[in-house]
Amino acid sequence: MKIWILPTLLLLYTVSTNAQDNFQLARPLLQYPSVFFTNEVAVEMAFAEPNTQIRYTLDGQEPTENAPLYTQPVRITKGFTTVKARVFSKVYKPSDVIEATFIKDGLPIESLENTAPNQKYKGTGAMTLIDNKGGSTNLSSKTWLGFQKDTVEIVMHLHKKEKVKNVLVNLLRDYGSWIFLPKKIEVYAFKNDAFQLVDNKAFKQDNKVSGAACVPIVFALKSGIKTDQLKIQLHLVKQIPDWHAGKGNKSWIFIDEVKAY
Amino acid sequence: MKRNEFIKASSLGLLGATLPIQYLAKQEVILGHNNKRYKINTRWSQADVARYPVNNCHEMVQDKKGRILLLTDETRNNVLIYNKNGKILDSWGTEYPGAHGLTLFHENGEDMLFICDNNRHQVIKTTIDGRVLMTLDYPKDSGVYAKAEEYVPTETAIAPNGDIYVADGYGKDYIIQYNHKGEYIRHFGGKGDTSAHLSNAHGICVDLRDKTNPCLVVSSRIQNAFKRYDLTGKYLETIDLKGAWVCRPVIKGEYLYAAVLQSNNSTGAQSGFVTILDKNNKVVSNLAGSTPQYQGNQLEEMYQTIKAFQYPHDVLIDDEECMYVAQWNSGKTYPIKLEPVI
Repeated sequence: MKIWILPTLLLLYTVSTNAQDNFQLARPLLQYPSVFFTNEVAVEMAFAEPNTQIRYTLDGQEPTENAPLYTQPVRITKGFTTVKARVFSKVYKPSDVIEATFIKDGLPIESLENTAPNQKYKGTGAMTLIDNKGGSTNLSSKTWLGFQKDTVEIVMHLHKKEKVKNVLVNLLRDYGSWIFLPKKIEVYAFKNDAFQLVDNKAFKQDNKVSGAACVPIVFALKSGIKTDQLKIQLHLVKQIPDWHAGKGNKSWIFIDEVKAY
Repeated sequence: MKRNEFIKASSLGLLGATLPIQYLAKQEVILGHNNKRYKINTRWSQADVARYPVNNCHEMVQDKKGRILLLTDETRNNVLIYNKNGKILDSWGTEYPGAHGLTLFHENGEDMLFICDNNRHQVIKTTIDGRVLMTLDYPKDSGVYAKAEEYVPTETAIAPNGDIYVADGYGKDYIIQYNHKGEYIRHFGGKGDTSAHLSNAHGICVDLRDKTNPCLVVSSRIQNAFKRYDLTGKYLETIDLKGAWVCRPVIKGEYLYAAVLQSNNSTGAQSGFVTILDKNNKVVSNLAGSTPQYQGNQLEEMYQTIKAFQYPHDVLIDDEECMYVAQWNSGKTYPIKLEPVI
């Protein structure tokens, strides 16, 4: 094997002296009217860089070079389908994965009350959280309600008493803009003349993620609960953690949609 | 690695197969489109980090001696002076904690600098070696500012007659016009809902490409656009640059160049690139960005495609048509140089 050592060193030397920056591709664009849909939604992907290919999956797997090649809009009909897409080329390192989860309509919601949002991020008014519009990572999009209050409360009035198995709240995470997932979310169902806690989730502030992302949170109500009113309580991260530039300050909560199934 | 070297390497057969394929297959990276394409050199600066540290690298200009001046908000040396090969020649400045805008103006044959300081809420005129000649405080005479803190100047542009235009890009988004002595003339722009208003008026330049119709080009960065005004502040038109958070416009020859801090589709994620417009203000090239495409007169959304830059904040085109890119919040890295590909 020793015979290989010299040529190996020579080759490594050649490679390193000619080495240039091995840049990574940026993520492709996912384009869609809203992640919330009634019957179906068409998802377009774009990446205007010659000699690159967009590959995607619909089964939650990370796209590899063998994943389907994007050629035309992808139709989604099944709720909670996650589209993951990534760009490949011969010259550059593959991009990171961009993903979006598409969410189908739930039980009809008659009306809704929520804590007043911040004046700067008040969406399109009272129906913002049940208008089937959202899924943008742009915080200025009128689909979002933004809050900087210790507790945010949302009460959903269903059309009639129904067996509810799941509750969903779609949130924005964008650390650069001080938008964190809540410290804790509690879900209550109205039963026997009172709101009763049916599920809750706590969240850690993960400092490894960056950029903006939509995060749908789903709560499972054991074996379903018959009710016509649901309440979601979101508890703000009152002090941004030390690793963040805004440490010690109040964070924000951004919500664009709530649903019951 | 060039193609012939690739073949040589491959002919080593078994050996080649043991090395990561992407190294062997790597081709030369050329950024940009049409007749504005560049080779990138991320190791241009030869500055010793311990001796000449930088924080945010905000803006760059070239003086009449051909030297490259970089403005950083690192107060150990606010101005670094390089030769074109990236060697440090000189440095000065310790009093500009919010150093942000750097503009060079030839005044009677002499190079003059205008520095915008975000923290000091001031514009400072200096000689090329840093001697202070004039300091402009917040424009009380305009009647639209109650205190200095409301005014956060980001950029200046100087008209041929010496008039000074200051963009209050992190304050109230007004453009404030002074005469060469620093006396207030007028203000325009500002925040609001009409086309003539601005949102994050981050940069400004005087555009003399059309000799008979000189104008101002102003960044409205959050709107992803440039806006044109005449030299008296009358709004002329908007140049829509969908998707691009454009920093200051920089004109060299017939072209307008601008660093794009980030792409709108991916904010807070180091998604910057560089855009180049021709004399008709049509995008002809994006360095590390999407191929410019028009549907009729409508520019399609632009975005980063190659992660060659992080947060570009300014470009300089030198006398040899080479480009330098200074970056904000990019790990205290020095500027990048790009050479045109003929």
